Amino acid sequence: MLKLYGSPFSTCTRLVALICKEKNIPYELIQVDLAKGEQKRPSYTALQPFGQVPYIDDDGFILYESRAIARYLIKKYPNQGASLIPTDPKAEALFEQAASIETFNFTAFVSLIVFEKVFKPRRGLQTNEDRIKELLATLVPKLDAYEVILSKQKYLAGDSVTLADLAHLPYGTLFYGVGYAELFDSRPNVARWWKDISSRPTWLAVKDGA
Amino acid sequence: MVKLYGSPTSTCTRLVALICKEKNIPYELIKVDLAKGEQKHAAFTANQPFGQVPYIDDEGFILYESRAIARYLVKNYPNQGTPGLIPADPKAEALFEQAASIEIFNFTTFVGPIVVEKVFKPLRGLQTNEERISELLVSLRPKLDAYDVILSKQKYLAGDSVTLADLTHLPYGTAFYGAGFSEEFDSRPNVARWWKDISNRPAWLAVKDGA
Repeated sequence: MLKLYGSPFSTCTRLVALICKEKNIPYELIQVDLAKGEQKRPSYTALQPFGQVPYIDDDGFILYESRAIARYLIKKYPNQGASLIPTDPKAEALFEQAASIETFNFTAFVSLIVFEKVFKPRRGLQTNEDRIKELLATLVPKLDAYEVILSKQKYLAGDSVTLADLAHLPYGTLFYGVGYAELFDSRPNVARWWKDISSRPTWLAVKDGA
Repeated sequence: MVKLYGSPTSTCTRLVALICKEKNIPYELIKVDLAKGEQKHAAFTANQPFGQVPYIDDEGFILYESRAIARYLVKNYPNQGTPGLIPADPKAEALFEQAASIEIFNFTTFVGPIVVEKVFKPLRGLQTNEERISELLVSLRPKLDAYDVILSKQKYLAGDSVTLADLTHLPYGTAFYGAGFSEEFDSRPNVARWWKDISNRPAWLAVKDGA
């Protein structure tokens, strides 16, 4: 059985769990104690040199970086569950375009906002509201571009859902829930798309714990 | 011929030009006047809604995001130029994806903003935020320590053959190296070896000063 080393609440661990659900891949979550810094210990960094969660052990094959794990699992199991990475060359290119949009035009800003608003207070650190304002100012025109793209097609890469849409869910859900829902809801096509992907049963199964 | 809409000095435009050189793909660079904000005009954003360079027009197929363009070109021309930039074997491909993700989240996330502060802002008459650079370096250094460990065991980031994941470090990495931060690479022996190797590839030397 696939072993997923991570934390039930970690955004990146939950992305891998989501893909396992989408692809009907059974997995065993082995909890890494982040509060105790287990991910920085030599026994951990021997396998994940950056000291981050998650990583997988698939019958001895070790892999880290949640988006790499997601891609590996999707490609390993093409004939079960959802089809999340197109194989047609142009459709695949448009998927890669959407995957890059997620990292550079969404997560780059949303993850830092979530860090300030959600993670820092949990660690007893002060939220930097000025930084959030700067980040929001950069994010807003990106969401306007999302609105244009999603006015012409159902999902970010075309009319079928792909991994590129799903990769928005862990940070996007935290962002939505911590006071920024209006940024999605005020844009009709973004709102439609967000409601669709965030209501997937597979996401609901893991969103509160991998 | 692939039409590359971008700017000769833009980091992301030069990544696409690099891949064209690696794969012997002829291209025509069509300059977008960033100083005049051409990338924000309606004629441009009709093709690239985020108003960013580059994008390509490959016989009418429009694609943007430099890493997506790079992947598309590598896959579309499997039998010419540098082989194996994206491996086909499933486990080798997974390790490539791991390396590609490392580049984005453990390198460019920090190096990109450092380059913006140190190099791009002054070019635009803006003030460098030295405190921000210090914070970013503090985050980057342990990542480079991890790079040194990885590269002590294998020649490149995904294994013993060069892949796209190594090459994507070049545009921002070169600007970083040249802006006073070379010691961050040179003080780590394996990173230094790897950096010297990839930054001296003829395909990169051909485009590094202008796509």
